Amino acid sequence: MGGPSGGIKMVDARDISSKQKQIAVSEFFEKNKHFLGFDSLQRSLITAVKEAVDNSLDACEEARILPEIKVEINRLKGDDIELISQDNGPGIPRDAIENVFGKFLLGSRFHAIRQTRGQQGIGITGVVMYSQLTTGAKTRVVSKIKNDSSAVFVELGLDTRKNKAIKSKERRDVWLDENTGKEVIHGLKIATIMKAKYQRGKQSVFQYLRMTSIVNPHATISLIVRDRDGEIIEDAKWIRTSERLPRVVEEIKPHPHGIQLGTLQRMLRESEEKRMTSFLRHNFSGVSMRAAKELLSSSEIEEIRNPKRINSEDAKKLIEAFQKVKLLPPPTDCLSPIDDLLIKKGLSKAIDSRFASTVTRLPTVSQGNPFQVEVGLVFGGDLSADGPIEVLRFANRVPLMYQQGGCALTKAIESINWKQYGLDHPGGKGLPKGAAAVLIHLASTNVQFTSEAKEAVSDNEEVSNEIRKGLLEVGRGLKNHLKKNTQRKKAREKFELVNVILPEIAKKTSKILGREEPDLAPVITQIMNAVFCEEELGWDKERKLATCSIQIFNYTARARAYTILLKWPESDMVSIVENSNGGRKEARGIWAWRLDTLNPGSSTTIHISLSGLSKGDWTDTDVFFRGNGDIIGATKIDEKILEEIRKTEALSAVRKEIHEVNNIDTDVGEEKVIHVVTENGTNQEKIDIFSKFEEDEV
Amino acid sequence: MSEIGQRKSKLEVKEALKGIAAEMHNKMEKGVPPSMTLPVRAKTNIGFDNKLGVYKYGKKKSTRDATSLGSARQLLRSLHVTEFIEQMIDSGKSSTLREMYYISEGWGHGKFGSQNESNNLAEDLEIVTKCLREDFKLRPEEDGARIIGNITFEERNRKGDWMRINCRDDVGDSGYGVPYNVESEKLTLIDEDVDFIMAIETGGMFDRLVENGFDEEARCALIHLKGQPARSTRRIMKRMSQEWNKPILVFADCDPWSFRIFASIAYGAIKTAHISEYLATKEATYLGITADDILAYDLPSDELTKQDLGALDSELTDPRFNTGYWKDQINLMKEIGKKAEQQSLAKYGLDFVTDTYLPEKLADIGLAY
Repeated sequence: MGGPSGGIKMVDARDISSKQKQIAVSEFFEKNKHFLGFDSLQRSLITAVKEAVDNSLDACEEARILPEIKVEINRLKGDDIELISQDNGPGIPRDAIENVFGKFLLGSRFHAIRQTRGQQGIGITGVVMYSQLTTGAKTRVVSKIKNDSSAVFVELGLDTRKNKAIKSKERRDVWLDENTGKEVIHGLKIATIMKAKYQRGKQSVFQYLRMTSIVNPHATISLIVRDRDGEIIEDAKWIRTSERLPRVVEEIKPHPHGIQLGTLQRMLRESEEKRMTSFLRHNFSGVSMRAAKELLSSSEIEEIRNPKRINSEDAKKLIEAFQKVKLLPPPTDCLSPIDDLLIKKGLSKAIDSRFASTVTRLPTVSQGNPFQVEVGLVFGGDLSADGPIEVLRFANRVPLMYQQGGCALTKAIESINWKQYGLDHPGGKGLPKGAAAVLIHLASTNVQFTSEAKEAVSDNEEVSNEIRKGLLEVGRGLKNHLKKNTQRKKAREKFELVNVILPEIAKKTSKILGREEPDLAPVITQIMNAVFCEEELGWDKERKLATCSIQIFNYTARARAYTILLKWPESDMVSIVENSNGGRKEARGIWAWRLDTLNPGSSTTIHISLSGLSKGDWTDTDVFFRGNGDIIGATKIDEKILEEIRKTEALSAVRKEIHEVNNIDTDVGEEKVIHVVTENGTNQEKIDIFSKFEEDEV
Repeated sequence: MSEIGQRKSKLEVKEALKGIAAEMHNKMEKGVPPSMTLPVRAKTNIGFDNKLGVYKYGKKKSTRDATSLGSARQLLRSLHVTEFIEQMIDSGKSSTLREMYYISEGWGHGKFGSQNESNNLAEDLEIVTKCLREDFKLRPEEDGARIIGNITFEERNRKGDWMRINCRDDVGDSGYGVPYNVESEKLTLIDEDVDFIMAIETGGMFDRLVENGFDEEARCALIHLKGQPARSTRRIMKRMSQEWNKPILVFADCDPWSFRIFASIAYGAIKTAHISEYLATKEATYLGITADDILAYDLPSDELTKQDLGALDSELTDPRFNTGYWKDQINLMKEIGKKAEQQSLAKYGLDFVTDTYLPEKLADIGLAY
């Protein structure tokens, strides 16, 4: 259901089928509370928090406000719990409050399709209803919109027969924030009392908010829980790690591949179009004039027929034609991926780890529904090494907390052979074990769930394949990280050997024998007999620069000459501002330095600084080299792959140019698809090429 | 390595230790990593020495050189130990291996990671220098054996006086405690009036035989091995065998670990194969309990565990057990899948071991009384 706050599109009352209308809404609620999320005391509280927070996030996003959400839970007598949720969103205009909080919205067919959080769940009305049914309490709402001089204070109940809100005690007043004492310029606060239970653990309000903060790095979320005596028993705050709001998603029309007969018939019935050709072109995405004609001829319907006159027989034929005729895929800019870098930030604010790898896959289409998969993996640090890894599932930025085992997202994780990537995976079955957490985000205009409870995503091969590809990518990253760790450990040991232990041995033998200390340089060369490379990524707090130092030691008996290549997160926003050794751009995201000859026993350091990144953005990189003789800690560059990167780059530059020319024509359809493919395509291909490097080494 | 039994002067010991430092120093002067060469100390590198009649290390050598951090640390430790021993020799002190382990706390990067490391290193140095631990003034922590029987030693006490001790008349129920150093400067074998010497694995059985007066009845000396026998225990048995020419019998449990106890007494232990001729009593006989005994006496027994079976299999490839007798015993044990303790003989009463079992077993090897 659409996010209700902020005067956003509401589903038309017509959508509620007449049959459902006749049942008293409270009865409907009672009957269906299991899938509405109000079936247990513990879950009811989570659901209530979820509805409130989802609404706040959606409203802030639309109003382009960085969200600041406070959740307060107070234990009262018995099972009574007071829930207070406050945001800094746009607020709800006085006249819309009744609709937002008072209408039960049934049915979830949209004419316009896009990805919203609110698509899941029942909406905030459910909270009002649940409170009223369990404690008889009214829900208190305070709403302030920017342009009004005062805020609206109102108490809401529900007329469950008429399916509408009953307002009481309405007044206007200045709203002062309870903590700061300052006037609230815009925002919404709801407070209600319900029968519920606050508990800790895997399925808890805490976990829900923690997960929400991971996929909403632009939000600051806090939670305070008080016991009956007023003592604070939980006090958590997840501060935003990004100032970037998710982009506003475009609404798109449904794609014929995903349409069912009933929906088609309703659309035909309600259409204002006079001719079938225009009906098809204007109500669906991916249908051009040519395609519309082809669809109609394939289903033997005259082009000039009035949509209202199409009988069910014809509609069935049309549905068949939808699958037969070649159509453009739907545009994918109706999706709002979190972005791999932001997921990394989100993960880092909730989990302290040593390694994080994230990937945003290209948008894809399954049965007419655009979808996009994002995967993140964190390893080490505070994560517990005992037991299975933590799984963080999200659909359209909403955490999924129940039915983990039956979820397609979980099954995708289980289908990977994690042993290959350095995690313990007994028998190759179930979840792998170890100090890791895996995040999967499925963004889609139509997430298919296994049940109405909307807690587990149902099996879909295309979705699973995309997730698996994403997992393999982050898995390779993990493997690389672990390999690097062992290499580093070995190198460190060698350094300790020659720099600490060996000189002590020489000192001791000299003392015992009364002889002079020997020159150790040739001994060191012989022990090390390799060129070592160690890179260190850092953060210059003062100047807000991401830094990288690469140190190369020649511990061989021969002089060496190398070109060192570094992978860096090149983008329009990120640039190199300091560079000790000059060098040149080798390809997009790869910088190269030709080093002076390194004599035996000598070392050199390259240092660069990047602007445009935040702390924690650049935590992992790869160093490559060109030249004779191996370097421990760097990978020999594959010239063929480098050539491929250059070609891809050239190709995408051409495509971009074409796109810019075409962009003058603003018609939806073909061009937009290309647009998405080019923009993200470059990035995607680049990542895949790097993963090839990693595999080559195996 | 026959010279090992001959004791070295303080100067010789110090020179031998300096040899270790010299090998390292010379290598470094030549521009190569310092190293120490040692025989491989594993069952794959022990062979029967026909001349000595015991098992000794073979030709396989391993070089410990400073190309890995672990080995380099070992070399540094060896030098610290060398220096430490020199200091002890000069000041006339001695220390236990455990004390050395704690002293190593002050050795910076040369400190030991565990007590086991210091024990092994002391053995390494013995092997390389052909000196004995006693020459290094290093004492083991290990508990020496107890002896009861009509035999007489003279032991030099702390005051430096020789003290005569009869192991039947001058001791209590716990017997004579064998000191860690049983070399001639500390201990002299004076007199005996026994027909054989019997080493017993467990304290329970030792006490049973003492209580039953078996030493007098059978005219023997009883030694309590306390599990895997300490070096001094094996050395004193070797001396009694050599100097008194008395049969040495071993009475142990019937399990793979007891077989190993016997092997270390009779053939030499893998860890101390460099001094086997000095510690091993090739004339020793395994009296029981044998795998046949389990069947013949219908003894209460336990199932062999996975570890037991692994140990038996390992013994089948151990050159020391490569004889018809041991192969039969090991295979029979695997076949019946059982093991038995010495004390399982109590099934037939407390006196069964002294009244029936031992007289029968002794008669089998011609030692009837």
